[in-house]
Amino acid sequence: MTVPLPKQAYPGRILPVTLPAGPGGTPVTVGGQNALSLAPEGEKPNAAAIGMEVRTGGGDLPPALAKAFECRATDPVSLAGACANDWGAQFLFLSLDGCHPDGGGQPVEEGARIVHEVLAAVSCPVIVGGCGEEETDAKLFPAVAESAGRPVFLSYADEKNYRLVGGAALAYGHGVVAWSPIDINMAKQANLLLSDLGVPPERILIDPLTGGLGYGLEYTYSIVERIRLAGLSGDAMLARPVLCHLGDAWKAREAVDASETSWGDAVLRGRRWEETTGWACLAAGADLLVFRHPGNVEAFREAAWR
Amino acid sequence: MTESFHSSCIQGAKSVLSLARASLSHQLAGRGGSAHLGYPDTAYELPVAFGLTDLKVSTLADGEKVLDLAEGLLRNAPTLENALEAGAATLLAADVLGALSHKDGNPFSPPSVGFVPDSILRKLGIFMVDGTVPGVAVAIGRATDPAAAAAMVRQFQEIGLLVFLAGDVAQQMEKAGVKLGDDFKTFPLGPLPAVIHAVNFAVRAGLTFGGIGRGQTQAMYNYLSQRVKAFVCALGPMDEIGLAVIAGAMKAGFPVLADRNLPEIPGALLRSPAGEEMVRAGMEARGIKAKIVKVPIPIAFGPAYEGERIRKSDTYAEFGGGRGPAYELVVSAPLSEVRDKEIVVVGPDIPDMPKGGTLPLGIVVTVSGNRMQKDFESVLEQRIHRIVNYGEGTMHVAPRDTTWIRVSCEAQAKGFRLADLGMMLYAKMHADFENIVDRVSVTIHTREEDVQRGMAFAKTVYAERDARAKTLTDDTVEEFYSCTLCQSFAPNHVCIVAPERLGLCGAINWLDGKAGYEITPTGPNQPVMKGAVLDPVKGAWDGVNAFVREHSRNTVPGFNLYSIMDAPMTSCGCFECILALIPEANGVMAVNREFEGSETPCGMGFSTLAGSVGGGAQTPGFMGVGKHYLLSKRFLAAEGGLPRLVWMTKEMKEYLGADLAARAAEIGMPGLVDMIADETVAVTPEQLLLHLKKVGHPALSMPPLL
Ligand code: SF4
Repeated sequence: MTVPLPKQAYPGRILPVTLPAGPGGTPVTVGGQNALSLAPEGEKPNAAAIGMEVRTGGGDLPPALAKAFECRATDPVSLAGACANDWGAQFLFLSLDGCHPDGGGQPVEEGARIVHEVLAAVSCPVIVGGCGEEETDAKLFPAVAESAGRPVFLSYADEKNYRLVGGAALAYGHGVVAWSPIDINMAKQANLLLSDLGVPPERILIDPLTGGLGYGLEYTYSIVERIRLAGLSGDAMLARPVLCHLGDAWKAREAVDASETSWGDAVLRGRRWEETTGWACLAAGADLLVFRHPGNVEAFREAAWR
Repeated sequence: MTESFHSSCIQGAKSVLSLARASLSHQLAGRGGSAHLGYPDTAYELPVAFGLTDLKVSTLADGEKVLDLAEGLLRNAPTLENALEAGAATLLAADVLGALSHKDGNPFSPPSVGFVPDSILRKLGIFMVDGTVPGVAVAIGRATDPAAAAAMVRQFQEIGLLVFLAGDVAQQMEKAGVKLGDDFKTFPLGPLPAVIHAVNFAVRAGLTFGGIGRGQTQAMYNYLSQRVKAFVCALGPMDEIGLAVIAGAMKAGFPVLADRNLPEIPGALLRSPAGEEMVRAGMEARGIKAKIVKVPIPIAFGPAYEGERIRKSDTYAEFGGGRGPAYELVVSAPLSEVRDKEIVVVGPDIPDMPKGGTLPLGIVVTVSGNRMQKDFESVLEQRIHRIVNYGEGTMHVAPRDTTWIRVSCEAQAKGFRLADLGMMLYAKMHADFENIVDRVSVTIHTREEDVQRGMAFAKTVYAERDARAKTLTDDTVEEFYSCTLCQSFAPNHVCIVAPERLGLCGAINWLDGKAGYEITPTGPNQPVMKGAVLDPVKGAWDGVNAFVREHSRNTVPGFNLYSIMDAPMTSCGCFECILALIPEANGVMAVNREFEGSETPCGMGFSTLAGSVGGGAQTPGFMGVGKHYLLSKRFLAAEGGLPRLVWMTKEMKEYLGADLAARAAEIGMPGLVDMIADETVAVTPEQLLLHLKKVGHPALSMPPLL
């Protein structure tokens, strides 16, 4: 006797979103599925996209990244080129950390100039992240939106600044990453607010805040899964691709601390820490993953999970 | 007068149209029909035609079509409707005229800028969407008193408005030394007809930021009237062309304020003297609120200081707290009766006091707003507590006429006075209740007789409110409110907040929920229509169940609001106290969060119990509730109400004290409170049962719970 496998059919479908590329580049399209990521059923027209983060402003690097980046570490333009051209990133996440008052305090114009240069140097899609300091970002987003020569995604808009980021995106035709702090209702609210503002749904991604392994990953896992289930069940405001930024994996002591020799090689450890965080997010349903370690990009691009 | 105004608008439109015709035929003769017509640096051709018609305009011949269409809008009968249509015609014709005049770039001499290019629109548009630029003021005409007009424009700049000037007022402002240009967001456009560049700016804002496409006329009008918070200040006498422009502005939904004798049209054309009055009128006509960036008081102010206590030895001035009469009151009033930012202190002030002195105190905060409701007064009033505690060096305890405020020596040394207290209240009421409050004024009295008189009045207000609260029952309201704030850690938990059952954290009652919804319509408090009654005793409604099902994402099918045994409400984790079934006693016990002991008749202390009750689970026999729910008529109505309560902590008994006794008396069991055991009487089911039997607790003779 054969037992038929139960197949779950959902009424909803995740909205496909395309991150536009520059001349000669390949745009990235994610979403479009009507089932969970690991389940055998359903249509999954687009595999998860694997991107890399490039940070401005230097700062100390974990041993694993210092080794991988070599001399490019301090030059965001050349690092961006390596990510896109040598390491296989399908898109870049350019974080303007250098503009943070504690991260070097580069002037806003400098941040906008770097964005411009990176966009000229690579042809893949780019997401531009602010520095995380409210007042600076309030100047940074408009400047970046204006100086970016082609459409990008701005990251991120939250409950507080969504008008500014949404406005900047509308003014110059960019997309928006809607951020919420591991909270499904706030994720929905951020999308509602952006929609009210007039940002078209196909230009919005959800960033649910990704905790690193051992530092909140399980919350993220559950929230990504619930956002996805809500979207598949027909909640249009949550039926959007999810972006997991794995940067927090590098905040774990286990990932960076070379002084703990009993934990093994810090170079390998860092990379693995990010990788493990990434696998969990992929399983939960993430559509875009942002890595820092080049080795992980390769590993994930080879995994054809969809 | 109204008719002559209408016919002047129509005449004016005709003049603009014939000006445009003349200029067009002149260029047609010189350049031919296929010559380019358009503004420099825009993606939207002739924006007004782009946004309000479906005509594509790129040549002079196309321009003619726009003028024909404009002409077709004109009717001679002097009605308001025809005047407004003439306004629309004026906008179209003026845009053609404007584009014609820009054949070789900006036709005007500096500082007039003429057409404002898209690049500036995008840059400024972000801040309009963002709210940093809260609105747009367009001043047209010729000011009779240039100094007053200059003061007005400076005020616009201070508020952060985008300012356009057209007509003689542009030169007048330059002469008066008003700062002009990009940096000041103040653009002199040119002579009066150049005001069209303010309109085509607004239209392009709709096209760029409003997602409106070509020819979506109605959507564009809606955007202009609702989203672009623009108003027009018409200064000095207006000729017919000026009146046609005014009609155009009204057609676009921009309220016009005129300092001359024009017929008033409610909401559209208002009279107001130029100057501060006009600023206020314009802001109010558009519901624009100036953001208070920093509260101008001598002490630091913010949530960081909320927990600060001021000891007696550090106290400079003290109000209330048993040392004199003191009260606080928030009342609402019609818009016309409240002067925003008016802060009045009557009587001696802190500098007049010796260290350690006391004074009577009466604080009355008067608010008004289109969405303000009388029911919200108490919600705002409760916020006074937090606001005063936000000050570094100010401490607030207890509400209403039991209020007690201390001001520290340090604050006094920095120059803190009662007007600063008023300023704190003013600023924070605006900030916290932005959506419901438009004007706030504060009056503070410190003379004994004034305070006594005010307090007598306040007491009548409190009494009214209490009476109203009593009439607010679950049966009398149409809707309950949800709270999903706790879903961040209890993902499927939904609190349904009803008049007779407050949120289980004790912090959100029905009115808070209602106000919360008004303040943040997309926030965690949403109205829940009760729908059909499924069970009046257990408290079940189909609307509530549908809401709970949807918002628990299909994990909780619904619940009974007044039952602990049959499908009780879920518990998140921040409940004030836990009710737990004691099978042996045929009743329930209540233990509050502060109770540190681990011995209770159910065998678990608060924290152990909390571990098994919380997380959004529905656990029959166990339920987290707000303390005040014990006093509700609906308390465990399904199981027989208050007589089911067999044990509660001593602390809770004291906390609910007289109210609990009153409630027991109300149900005809005045002795009930004394029959309820506490930890000094029983900490095991056996001891409890013994006690209950001894005192003859009613629970023992009620129908079995299990
Ligand atoms: S416990 Fe309080 S804060 Fe939490 S959901 Fe209920 S009412 Fe809202």
